[in-house]
Amino acid sequence: MATTTTETKMLTLCTSDKQQFQIEETIALQAVTIRNMVEDECASNVIPLPNVNSKIMIQIIEYLKKHVDSSVSKEDMEKFDSAFVEKKLSEIFDIILAANYLNIKNLLDICCQRVADVMKNKSPEWVRRTFNIVNDFTAEEEAKIRKEHEWAFEGVDED
Amino acid sequence: MSFFSLLPEGCITDIISFTSPRDSCRASAISPTFKSAAESDIVWEKFLPSDYQEIISRSVSPVVHSTKKELYFLLCNSPILLDESKLSFTLNKWSGKKCYMLRARELSIAWKDGPQYWKWTSLPESRFFEVAELRAVCWLAVGGKMQTQMLSPKTTYAAYLVFKPAENSRGLEVPAKASVRFVVESQDGAKDSNDAVHLKLATDRPEHLRRLGRRAARQPNGRLRQKRGDEWIELGQFFNDHGDDGEVEMQLKEIQQLNWKTGLIVEGIELRPKE
Repeated sequence: MATTTTETKMLTLCTSDKQQFQIEETIALQAVTIRNMVEDECASNVIPLPNVNSKIMIQIIEYLKKHVDSSVSKEDMEKFDSAFVEKKLSEIFDIILAANYLNIKNLLDICCQRVADVMKNKSPEWVRRTFNIVNDFTAEEEAKIRKEHEWAFEGVDED
Repeated sequence: MSFFSLLPEGCITDIISFTSPRDSCRASAISPTFKSAAESDIVWEKFLPSDYQEIISRSVSPVVHSTKKELYFLLCNSPILLDESKLSFTLNKWSGKKCYMLRARELSIAWKDGPQYWKWTSLPESRFFEVAELRAVCWLAVGGKMQTQMLSPKTTYAAYLVFKPAENSRGLEVPAKASVRFVVESQDGAKDSNDAVHLKLATDRPEHLRRLGRRAARQPNGRLRQKRGDEWIELGQFFNDHGDDGEVEMQLKEIQQLNWKTGLIVEGIELRPKE
């Protein structure tokens, strides 16, 4: 804006697919990894983020922009968060990886909560099938685990 | 391709810590990686109450455990005694919420110091060394208080009188008044939930009728339950918001009929989260 006297400090983030994103420093510094890089002066002009692609970066910037805004009420922020995680699980997993790398705790938490909600009251077989997880247990090993916590396996949702 | 195979184990741990103790136990059966994540201290530290260390430091006997998961189930499966055995503590296995029981000695019992009215005795199956046995009173009043900050926040609790009728019990069929309320300084007589409860159903009836009577008593009005020979009766419920409501007071009274009552063994008052 023309009326502001001090110029807003900008940072340039470079994603794995070599896309550059110019964003306000205050927005970017919510990511602890970026803050550490800036504070350690490891990054002068362009901050390389080789673990994040541009598709995910756009979503993360959307999240950070909202969360830097102190005028948003707690209630509206919660609404934003729950709408934000209404995505395909494959995208949620990509965001988890990126949020873990960039160290954005809130974002990591809401995405982990989203996956946790999917797993609630579901059988191990259902989770394996849904997420394509290979079961490396022998039949004996698995039976032993089930026996140890029988109460946890009773009354789970039908597959 | 598996989504999870890309995640570092730390992220799987994060995800599982957002489920519940029960979901987490099941997650152990998914795969070895999940098992390792689901049994980590980070997960179980989250399921334990935030002040668990302070609580177990008050235990009369050392609480020996090697992992947080082991500690969690130790606290679920057997009550520990706190503060010179004044009260016992357990966790609700499903929610990890705190349950306490105040021993009879910590309760205010009308006429408890008169040996002709109440007698202190021991019960082999009780977790406490002493229980209070009613010899004979007309004015029956048993109550206890608990600081709400000791309880799990954002939780609906129910208070129960844990007791056992003695063989010679008499006069307990009359309806008694149960109440649970917050003790508000200078503002006495706050919301009082006075409910009629029955300490005993007519026991001289044949067994099959008694059982019927018990079942009938499970309706909201009677609320008599049994476990391992103990019986418990709900005194009322309350919502513990942030634990800043001060003290909660639970009471059972029969001061209207004033008939002679005998043969009631009081173990204590228990506070448990309502599912």
